[in-house]
Amino acid sequence: MALFIYGTATNTGKGFFTAEDRRAFFLRGYPADVWVVGNNEKGATWLAEKNGVEKTKAEAQALVTAEVQASQAAWDALPAEEKTDMNPRPTDITLP
Amino acid sequence: MAEYESIHGTRVRYLTSDPTLTDSSTEGQVWYNSTSGTNKTLVQLKAWSSGNNLNTARRASGAMGTQDAGAIAGGQAAPAYVNSTEEYSGYAWTAGGNLNTTRAFVNNGTVGTQTAGLTFGGESNPPNSDLGATEEYDGSSWTSNPTNLNTARRDLGGAGIQTAALAFGGTSSPTDVTESYNGSSWTTVNSLNTGRASLVGAGTQTAALAIGGPSTVVESWNGSSWTNGPSLNFQLDGGAGASGTQTNSLTFGGRKPPGTTLVSSSEQYDGNTWVTTPSMGTARRELMGMGTAQAGLATGGFTPPSFSAATEEYNSNLTSGTRAAWSAGGNLSTARYALAGAGTQTAGLAFGGYSGTAMVPTAEEYNGSSWTNGGNMGTARYRLAGNGTQTSALATRGFAPSPVSQTNITEEYDGSSWTGGGNNVITGSSSCSTGTQTAGLNWGGAPNLSSSQEYNGSSWTAGNTLNTGRSGSGGAGTQTSGLAFGNTTDTETYNGTSWTSVNSLSNSALSGNGALQTAAIAVAGPGVTETWDGTNWTSTGVSVAVPRGDGIFVVGTTAAALKFGGNPPVTNSTEEWTSSTLATTASTLTTS
Repeated sequence: MALFIYGTATNTGKGFFTAEDRRAFFLRGYPADVWVVGNNEKGATWLAEKNGVEKTKAEAQALVTAEVQASQAAWDALPAEEKTDMNPRPTDITLP
Repeated sequence: MAEYESIHGTRVRYLTSDPTLTDSSTEGQVWYNSTSGTNKTLVQLKAWSSGNNLNTARRASGAMGTQDAGAIAGGQAAPAYVNSTEEYSGYAWTAGGNLNTTRAFVNNGTVGTQTAGLTFGGESNPPNSDLGATEEYDGSSWTSNPTNLNTARRDLGGAGIQTAALAFGGTSSPTDVTESYNGSSWTTVNSLNTGRASLVGAGTQTAALAIGGPSTVVESWNGSSWTNGPSLNFQLDGGAGASGTQTNSLTFGGRKPPGTTLVSSSEQYDGNTWVTTPSMGTARRELMGMGTAQAGLATGGFTPPSFSAATEEYNSNLTSGTRAAWSAGGNLSTARYALAGAGTQTAGLAFGGYSGTAMVPTAEEYNGSSWTNGGNMGTARYRLAGNGTQTSALATRGFAPSPVSQTNITEEYDGSSWTGGGNNVITGSSSCSTGTQTAGLNWGGAPNLSSSQEYNGSSWTAGNTLNTGRSGSGGAGTQTSGLAFGNTTDTETYNGTSWTSVNSLSNSALSGNGALQTAAIAVAGPGVTETWDGTNWTSTGVSVAVPRGDGIFVVGTTAAALKFGGNPPVTNSTEEWTSSTLATTASTLTTS
């Protein structure tokens, strides 16, 4: 049994995930509106209730990678003076 | 006869319903409940009392049920292992059905009930071998399930019910393997962070605790993965007992490693911290526990060289409410990181930062559910410091544009617009501030500066230096009672004159904030949240949902905090911290 469910859902702000949700199942947000939730009934119900679109892990990883690469491209295009240690280039993200 | 008023200094209150009793600070209150017609009080009763002995002294049996309807099965009764079951009525133990497989050192931790129990794993009667056998109890007989644990083992932890159980840890050699049971078969799931044996479990298949082993480690299971949570006060080994749930648990007995010292003490968990509670009458290891954190049962165990038949009942009227959690707040209008903030969870302020392509001048105000734009700072900047309230904030230092350079500019916010303040005596970025707009405190900065400065509403003056230079740290408190933490594990307090090192954070990556020197909260990107009570940091075992490793900002206290922004990549995410809650139940005063 897979440990996690992968999907996309738009974070609508307050109430999108509640303290009760956090107590009930694993939940973590990533770039490109990708959410990783525990593979149990409550996690699956949450994703469905948020009009989420379930993805395979590979599909979710591709979305995250594309978003990170866009951020990296934006950083690469910055003037040299803004590319300081205090404004580091976004790093790659690997989903669990 | 003395009257209550002359003793307590107040009159007995006349109430139509019991007041909200949140913690032990309300201990001793007395009132008259006119609805029930009774005198009531809050007595923080926590005590062990003796129950009747087991019929067969033994250790390392399977346990199930409650304080007044419990059962144990199998175990070692010197010198042989046994297959017998005993059932507890709340008064006496009577014989139940026999296990099909004689064994000891099975799942440690209550699994199931007296009429729907489950036992798994363990060690066979000598010559010993580790077992994966699983059996179900219906209140009179045991039925073997043909499907064994995938990993045969002994001295493992267990939690859950007959149709939804969890097995974790154990040994031939200490293992981290976790398996989930659906009533018919076992599935291997995510492993413990720390493989170990002689631990004890509590809770359910989707919300369990793995307690102790030869350590103070406690791990929390959310149905998918284990997270390290607040540690025990004392190391436990040798099969302590436990009862209760993931957020309301009791552990008792065991052995104190290294060595052979037996433990009689117990610790109660409220979802946030472990508190030492009264000790059992009989110190012992490899005992069995069941019930709840308010009504627990300890029985059997090993008191070398003999086995124990002693039964003890624990009762407490301290109950747990809910576990702390980060939940979604309204999203920032402008995604950004390396920003600053001020205020509280319900009246927060975010300002400055970097959008990923430009420095941000905008301030945004939070009302507890959504952000709205406030006034723009005169100087857009990031890696600035901020403090104060939503309507009286202070911004200082940071990186400013055109050309990009570090600044000492200070600006003051009045709830609608920013005006210039006195320039900071230090030019630089990544510092931290606390206090108010007219009594502010600023310290540190890149590259790990140790200087501190005080603001009086118009100008900055140099203060004493930190013991540990730091950049991008967290802060809390006031100008005369401040707290600096993060970027390093070292934590320091400020008394208006000098900095003093106090107890450390466990995670140097943490930063955060707090309105009080005694109630700060520290948050890391992917890590767990730690809370400060004025003396110690406690790991809550609770992580944010949208982790970012750089440039988040946190306002508020351990009771109610707000986290917003961060990178990489840049986010507009906001999360709200809700602390764990406690509740107590009132007792009725009677005459005797």
